[in-house]
Formats: sequence, C-alpha cells, structure tokens
Amino acid sequence: MFTQADKRCSLPELVAHVGDGDVVAVGGGLSWREPMAALRELIRQGRRGLKVVGSAHGIDIDLLCGAGVVAASGESYVGFEQDFGMAPNYRRACESGEVQVRDNCCYTLVQQLRAAISGLPFLPIRSGQGTDFEALHPEFKTMTCPYTGENLVLVPALRPDVAVLHAHFADRHGNLHIKGPPVADILFAKASRSVIVTVEEIIEHEDLAEKGVTIPYFYVTAVCEVPYGAHPTSCYPNYAYDRQHTRYYYDQARQGAEIFRESYLKPFVNQCPDHQVYLEAIGGRERLNRLATWRDSAEQWMSLYD
Amino acid sequence: MTEPIRTCTLGELMIYQLALTIEDGILAFHGFGSPLVQLALHLAKRSHAPNLVLVAGATYAVNPNPLFLTPTSNDFAMSLGSECDLDIEELFDLAASGRMGRMFLSGLQIDPWGNMNVTRLGDAGHLKLKLPGGGGGCNLSCDAEHVTIWTAAHRAPLDQQGRRRFRLVERCDFVTSIGHRTADGRPRSELPYRGKGPDCIVTDLGVFDFDATGHARLNAVYPDTTAALVAENTGFDFPVAADLAVARLPEPGMIELIRRLDPMRIHRRELSHDDQTREFAL
Repeated sequence: MFTQADKRCSLPELVAHVGDGDVVAVGGGLSWREPMAALRELIRQGRRGLKVVGSAHGIDIDLLCGAGVVAASGESYVGFEQDFGMAPNYRRACESGEVQVRDNCCYTLVQQLRAAISGLPFLPIRSGQGTDFEALHPEFKTMTCPYTGENLVLVPALRPDVAVLHAHFADRHGNLHIKGPPVADILFAKASRSVIVTVEEIIEHEDLAEKGVTIPYFYVTAVCEVPYGAHPTSCYPNYAYDRQHTRYYYDQARQGAEIFRESYLKPFVNQCPDHQVYLEAIGGRERLNRLATWRDSAEQWMSLYD
Repeated sequence: MTEPIRTCTLGELMIYQLALTIEDGILAFHGFGSPLVQLALHLAKRSHAPNLVLVAGATYAVNPNPLFLTPTSNDFAMSLGSECDLDIEELFDLAASGRMGRMFLSGLQIDPWGNMNVTRLGDAGHLKLKLPGGGGGCNLSCDAEHVTIWTAAHRAPLDQQGRRRFRLVERCDFVTSIGHRTADGRPRSELPYRGKGPDCIVTDLGVFDFDATGHARLNAVYPDTTAALVAENTGFDFPVAADLAVARLPEPGMIELIRRLDPMRIHRRELSHDDQTREFAL
C-alpha cells in the first residue's frame, strides 16, 4: 500500500524507482498516451537491462531499444502500423540478439496480470495451443480440466517490478484520472509492485473526485506533473499525435543505429537536461499549440497527419 | 455536381469483399494497423449489416462514427461518437466466452491451412527478420467464432535472382495464429477451441475459401486476374472451386461511402505501388 499524503516528486526522483534489470510495464498503447517524458529520463539516467512487457506499442519501446536500455521484450506488438511500418530500433535490437524475443499475446498478458491481481499463481486460458508461442514460452503449462476434460493452458502470474504510466490528472495523494482508452494501464497499476506516473496536471482532490478516479491512490508510488509528457504520442483532448516529429524520428531510426544516436537521441534525449528543454527542442509553444488545434475543424485535424 | 462513379479501385474491391464476410447482428472486431478492414466494418454496418456490433481495434470503441480514417488506430478520431467503450479485458473476455462472431487477421506468411506468421522470419536459432508481432491475434484465432484472413501482398514478383518471396507459403517460419491444422498435422478439431477457424482469405489477386479438409481453395478471381496468375504467385498448390467466379464489384454508393470515410486514402498504404493504380469498370 502506498499511503503517503503527498506523492509529488521531480521527474528524476520519479524515474529513480526503476532499477537496472527490472520488469517494466509501459502504459498507453501505439500512438496514444505513452509515458515518453519518463522514458527519456530513464535513458538519461542510464538505466540498463530492462525487460519490457505489454500489449501493442510503438515509439516508446522502439526508443528504449534504440537507446540500448532493453534486454528482453514481452510485448505483443511493436511497430508503427500502416503509418510507418516496422519499428527500426526494435528490429535491430531483436535481430542482433541484444534484445531477447519473448513476444506475448494480448489476452495471455491480460490473464497473467489478472492472476497477479487476484493473488493466484496462474490462470487458465484456451488459446495458444498449436501455435509456436508454446515453444517460445516454456513456462506456459497445460493441464486437463478436472471439470470438462478439456486441455487448457496455464499462464503464470505476471507481477511487473514497476509500471510507468502517463495520465491526464492526479491529486497529490496519487489518485489518477485517465480520459479515453485506458489500454492496459489499470491492470498494470494493480499488478505491479510499484507504479510511477507522469500527469498533464496535478489538481485538488475534490476536482479529481468529480472527474472520477480511474486508478486509486494506494496503488500509486509517486506522481510528477509533466505537461506534454506523452509527446510525440497523443494525449487527447490536450494534444494530438505529433506525426511530423514521429516521421523525423522514424527517418533517423531507419538509417541505422549510429545515425539515430547522433541525430535523434543526442538532440532530443541526452542533450536535453529536462523536459522543458525537450519541449523547446521539438518546436516549443508554436508546435504544441498546433497539436491542440485538432478541435478546430475536421480539415484542421486532418492536416495534423500530413 | 460530382462526376458519377464509373470505376472502383483494387482497395475498394477488397474492402467490399471483406465486408461481404460480415454477418448482420454479430460482434466483429478489427485490430490495429488494418485500414482495409476498418473500412470494411464501417461499410458493412452502413449497408447489409446495420445490427453489427462494431468494435474498433486499439480503442475498443463500440459503433464509433469516425470523421475520417487515421494512419494510427489508437486515435480519438477513430472512437469519436461511440455508443459505448470496452476495455482490453472485456473485449478479449467476449471472444473467450464465444461472443465474438468474427475477427480479421493477416500475416507476412499464410500457409494452406490458414496458419499465419507475424512474429519472425528465420528460426529461433537464427532470427532473420523480427516482425512487429501479432497483438491479440493468437488468442483471437482460437476464440473468435469465425476469422477472415486478408493480405494486400499476395502478388510475389520475381526478384533479381529470379525467385519469388511468397506471402502464401507452404509452411510458416513461426505460427503466430492458428488455422485448421497445426504445423505437425493435428487437425483443429483436436484442440479445445470454440472458434471454427478462418473461412476465407481476401487478397489482392482473389478470394479463397477453405475446403472440407481445411485447405485453402480458390473461390473467386478479380476482373484482371486468373487462376493461373494466382497459382504463379502462391507458394503451394490449391484446389479451385468448380464454379470459380469473378468477384462482385461494390456499388457506386458503397464506393462513395468508402471515399467519404477515408478522405486521406489511408487504406492505399496497404497496397503495393503498382496495385494502387488498379481499377475496374463498374
């Protein structure tokens, strides 16, 4: 239980809860509400050997792979969909053997997290039998159901060392409010040993209670106010996905590890001492304001995808 | 007054063929990174399947009304106007309990039995290409009542060494999602699955169904393809339906709807460069 009255801290203090070699559940999904500012801080702090787990992800896991932070990936998908295609840093890291491939499937992951949440050693599922996930995950066992006689797969409880989330609002006690799809964030928060969260805004408890508590405070270890902390992924309604920045990212990543380090990691991560400097580096107030114009009209919204 | 619609593109034909696989009144789900399928679900719901429970991939929004299709799936534009919203566990629970009528899956390799690979090329000891991974496709290939398979990259042109890299292959390097028979020959009926497996493959060259043994069978070609062309581009032998048809083209109203739903033509990104110019006279 995390019960301290005031969980606010700085971004470096927040990220210090992640240790080398930890099993890390990164929240959000694809181009939506990834805790990017926290991940950039992880890289700046030189964290190593992380074992990432999750469902469908993109630039978040690719960035960590490009920075050499990841030792194993148990994500169900890492890519840029039809937008840009395969994730270049993730691919390179997997193919070189630097990152161990432990791909998972969404429902298998959900049931593993639910086992942890329920205090059970495992949960049974039907699916996966006859696929190559059986060989990839020798820890999955099969059993004959004592009630129906069917063969079921047992998937062990998954208790990440730390969940890294980005939410819209928190109060100082750590109650969280997330708008829109929670993806696996609620499951991650309940299953993980510690939960660190960046938020767009820290508000008074009364105001948060009015919006609704998505994740109760006692799961949450620490919170840090980081406006635009999901950039370049979206955090609607505050801001849309920054496709132009993501395209720049992708173009550098595709050209190889060295170019990515020089022309992306250096200017946007390692040479930015903090999030404020990052926001200036990506174009400052002008660019951030543009990402909020999605509300103006359908045409304006569409222009953000050019 | 806009010009009357007299032709349809390959993308629009594929969207229509995908939509035809959707029964009215079921719950159907599209995953992420699948614009052709996203459009097919919206087309079906606005034509022959008004009672479809349409669940959008990534956002898990139910019956959304997107203003336009976006290049990424977990975007507020895609869940706009939804009737209600599910979360990740509820969506997969619905499938596991037998309440998902249809799912749509694709693969970088698709074998004759409908097994697919989106995990890796090469074997465990020598990883040649790490693919993005299957999301929840493995689970849903077992649990969804029916599966529609699609690929817009069936055509396998000769490379400089005169070889073809087939999309439809004899055997997958890794089985991410399961079809009608496991790689070691066990039939699906021996596995404890509620789902009946894939019942069609919609490609850029034609449409397959599956015969009684669970093997892909060519069922329809397109106005500019033939069974011989399909065979040339397929890495395994397949039976051809006795009544091999030329696939039906969408009606002008449907084409207009697709163009309205996808003003940025995001679905064209699934097609090869050459296929983007294929058109058929209505």
